[in-house]
Amino acid sequence: MWFIGSVIVLAVGVLLYVPYSLRSVDGVSGGSGPGLAYGILGFAMMIFAGLLGARKRVRIWRLGRATWWMRGHLWVGFLSFPFILFHGGFQLGNGALSRALMILFLIVFVSGVLGAVLQHFLPKMMTERIPMETIYDQIDHVENQLVVEAAQLVADASAMVEQAIEQQEEAEEKAPFAAAGKKNAVAMPDERVSAKIKAFFETQIKPYLTSRRSQKYSLTNPVQAAAAFRQLKLLVPDTVWPKFDDLESICGEKRELERQRYMHKWLHGWLLFHVPASYALILLGAVHAFVALRY
Amino acid sequence: MSENFSETFIQTKEIHFTLDGKDVFVQRAIKDPVPTIFEAAQKWGVTIPTLCHQQNEKPVGVCRVCVVDVAGQRVFPASCVRPLEEGMKIQTASEGVKAARKTLIELLMADHPSPCARQKLSSDCELECLAKEAGIKQTPFAPRATPRGHDDSSLSIAVDHEACILCDRCIRGCNEIRHNFVLARRGKGYQAGISFDENLPMATSSCVSCGECMVSCPTGALTNKKVIDQNLGEGDAVKVADMQKLDIFKNVSGTFLNLNSNAVRKRTYKAGEIICKEGDFGSTAFYILDGNADVYLSSPMTHINTKGKKGFSSKLKTVLETTNRTKGSKEVRKVSIPIDGPVDLAYDNPIAHLKAGELFGEMTCMNYYPRSATVRAETDTTVYEMLRNVLDILRRNKAFKARTDQTYRKRALGSHLRGIPIFSTVTPDFISDLRDRIELRQYAPGQLICRQGDPAHSFFLVRIGFVKVTETHPGGELVLAYIGRGGYFGEMSLLGGGVRTANCIALDNVEVVRIRMEDFSLMLDSFPEVRRGLEAVAAERAAENRRHFTQIQTVPVDSFLAQGLMEAQSLLVLDLNKCTRCDQCVQACADAHGGTSRLIRDGLRLDHYLVATSCRQCKDPLCMVGCPVGAIRRRNSLEITIEDWCIGCGLCANNCPYGNINMQPFDVQTIDPAQPNRKVAEVKFKATACNLCPDHDEPNCVYACPHDAAHRVNPREFFAEFAKDSKGLFS
Repeated sequence: MWFIGSVIVLAVGVLLYVPYSLRSVDGVSGGSGPGLAYGILGFAMMIFAGLLGARKRVRIWRLGRATWWMRGHLWVGFLSFPFILFHGGFQLGNGALSRALMILFLIVFVSGVLGAVLQHFLPKMMTERIPMETIYDQIDHVENQLVVEAAQLVADASAMVEQAIEQQEEAEEKAPFAAAGKKNAVAMPDERVSAKIKAFFETQIKPYLTSRRSQKYSLTNPVQAAAAFRQLKLLVPDTVWPKFDDLESICGEKRELERQRYMHKWLHGWLLFHVPASYALILLGAVHAFVALRY
Repeated sequence: MSENFSETFIQTKEIHFTLDGKDVFVQRAIKDPVPTIFEAAQKWGVTIPTLCHQQNEKPVGVCRVCVVDVAGQRVFPASCVRPLEEGMKIQTASEGVKAARKTLIELLMADHPSPCARQKLSSDCELECLAKEAGIKQTPFAPRATPRGHDDSSLSIAVDHEACILCDRCIRGCNEIRHNFVLARRGKGYQAGISFDENLPMATSSCVSCGECMVSCPTGALTNKKVIDQNLGEGDAVKVADMQKLDIFKNVSGTFLNLNSNAVRKRTYKAGEIICKEGDFGSTAFYILDGNADVYLSSPMTHINTKGKKGFSSKLKTVLETTNRTKGSKEVRKVSIPIDGPVDLAYDNPIAHLKAGELFGEMTCMNYYPRSATVRAETDTTVYEMLRNVLDILRRNKAFKARTDQTYRKRALGSHLRGIPIFSTVTPDFISDLRDRIELRQYAPGQLICRQGDPAHSFFLVRIGFVKVTETHPGGELVLAYIGRGGYFGEMSLLGGGVRTANCIALDNVEVVRIRMEDFSLMLDSFPEVRRGLEAVAAERAAENRRHFTQIQTVPVDSFLAQGLMEAQSLLVLDLNKCTRCDQCVQACADAHGGTSRLIRDGLRLDHYLVATSCRQCKDPLCMVGCPVGAIRRRNSLEITIEDWCIGCGLCANNCPYGNINMQPFDVQTIDPAQPNRKVAEVKFKATACNLCPDHDEPNCVYACPHDAAHRVNPREFFAEFAKDSKGLFS
């Protein structure tokens, strides 16, 4: 419905503009009759598009579905661009205010289109790349929970390593020759391994999980993270490996949460330009209309 | 034989006989029956062993253990039934008698599970004691091949048919001593046994738990059950003699009361003291001995509201706000709140009074539901606090049952019936007339109240417990509703042709009020508005059931079977390929519900769809089971509603398997008990759940989504079209 309506309005606008521009002796002007009409229409479209913000404030008022308003915002906002161009005669304008308005309008339009594109493609990307997505406001809380889980896993792994050491020592006391042969065949943990695991947690895992700028940590890179955990696994009996697998999963989850933060910022960050610029545009547009008509 | 005249002019006779070689005699009054050999021997200090004979019961001579050797007789007669005759020569312990007794005991021991429960408990199983005296260590006879089973249905008495020796003492105790006529013999030969009514489990029979059968039983076939944590601990111990003075414990065996004495405690409360608090979990009931008590809801009668600064930083502070009835609501507010006591609370003034002789807390005690209301002593009050086994005795006691029936008819029936909006126009005169014609019936957990397809004769109001209503279809069974106190069922079949349209099963210990078809029809004829209202509800339910039936026949999609989504009737599904995570849905839900959102934008994922954590309006709404005040209920179609008298016990939130009910905290200013002129903030809770915004065509969360990503769907229909294409940017 919006598509058809927009195409019709645009077609009518173009059909009316072409003869007008061809017949203009001194060129197209925003102050001429048709120019004013295009300007008023274009500004009305901007105001309508701006009403989406107001509509979102009164979410449960039965003023039409939010989907309808969003589509209206996109189509009518898109349509305002050619109409303003028609109003300005495809020029920046003579005065400083006109130029500023045009630039502001371009910023709003481009940021809006960018936003629409981002909001079309990014959700699907997030769905595919962040299977363990959580609510954005809960990311900090989830990360804190990951730290607690990781600490528990490290404690369990250390305890298992220390137990393995004790069992090894007992076996050596009972049957030194057999134990020695076994020791040579398989790398058994010594007292330093437990300390190494704890140090790895304190210097790598915990800072990585708690950091907001995690790019500086090697665990950010999945290949490097896998290599690091493989190295750790070599030092311990295979009974401890599931704990490291879980730690690796936790690091993987942290990567996803970081990715979610990043993509969420792109998904919504453009609004930081678009919304204030839109308010400024409408305000300045009103000033421009007042000044132009009055003076 | 000689005749004598005593000083009181009673004519007596002497009977002379020989007992174990001694010449003896007994005197009897002419008008009295002739004594038996057993009685005569007893008078001379000779104890003849017996199993089936008990002094206070009519002898029947079935066990034959009491046989004696009478000279000149063809067989050994049973001394408990054989009358004494002049000149009899009786040997009570001859070699022949001993051999016969030994064989009998060996035969009985062959089928006896030694040691039986009684022998383990108190080492006084009469059969096993006899076997020990006779020097029987092992029986040469083979045990029976077919087991006879156990019956653990009763709360107070364990029935072990394996240990039963068919002595009939329990039958005679039940019939001759207590006149309850519950027990009888059933079957023949190896099928013979003891049965309650028509071979029903003891708990569902008409047994009144007087304990006489258990006291009469010589073996471990009927033994007292010890309830876990039977000892109530603190409080004054109750003497059996004091209990037996009360009408409600009349006709209950003193031995039985003695065995259960630790399950009752006497407690005294000063005026103003709280006896029990709403929302607390418990396992006891209270019987008021003297004094008066107030029963009320201390939770504010309102919905909660969250207000705070809006914008980027929001600080939530929860305050109370009176709910506003929205336009278009088709539901009429209930006028009474059902509680676990002999009365209901009026919605506009939720306080009632209890007096001596009244019982409260039955549902908590029998079914372990939270306390439904706060009870406070109005005057100095003395109560018996009791556990389930003692309450069960009370509930089965005819005198007590009659009294509670009377109380219910007088105090609660009217408010119960008229509390249902459809019946609100029924006049008090009609209810007075109806009072004496209703019947209160009890059902044990799992017992069928009415079966689909059976002829309908009654209409039911639920007084205690929960009733599960299901419909059987070729595709499976569909749970239509859980009906608790204050609810009703059976009207559809009475309106629609007299055949039950659903199965109604007692989910826990249930008591219903049964109104006969004739009285129900009279009510409909006398009050046309009631008929119209019922017909409208019946039509709506029938349409909904037809819709449910159609859903059952749809082939389910495998992908969501394992996650319980089959149970859902309505899912909030977010298309993650369109959702920009803007949280407009959550914000809209919060705006529509006083600032508290009822959905969480997280949950199960299926491909690119997210099933949000929001009420699924399950076909089998487990959340509804156990609400002590009936605050959570289902309207006539889908949506689950939580009323504003919710006491915040949290049972519904615990019951919901999907975490879709949340307990919202709020502060209430209450008087500090330590310093009465000071107020302190107390945190209370109310349950909240999505109710599908019934005042609108579309829920607010769906309405407010700018990207057409949120949808409320029927899971079967939706996932049947799983492979639909995602649409373009500007379509």
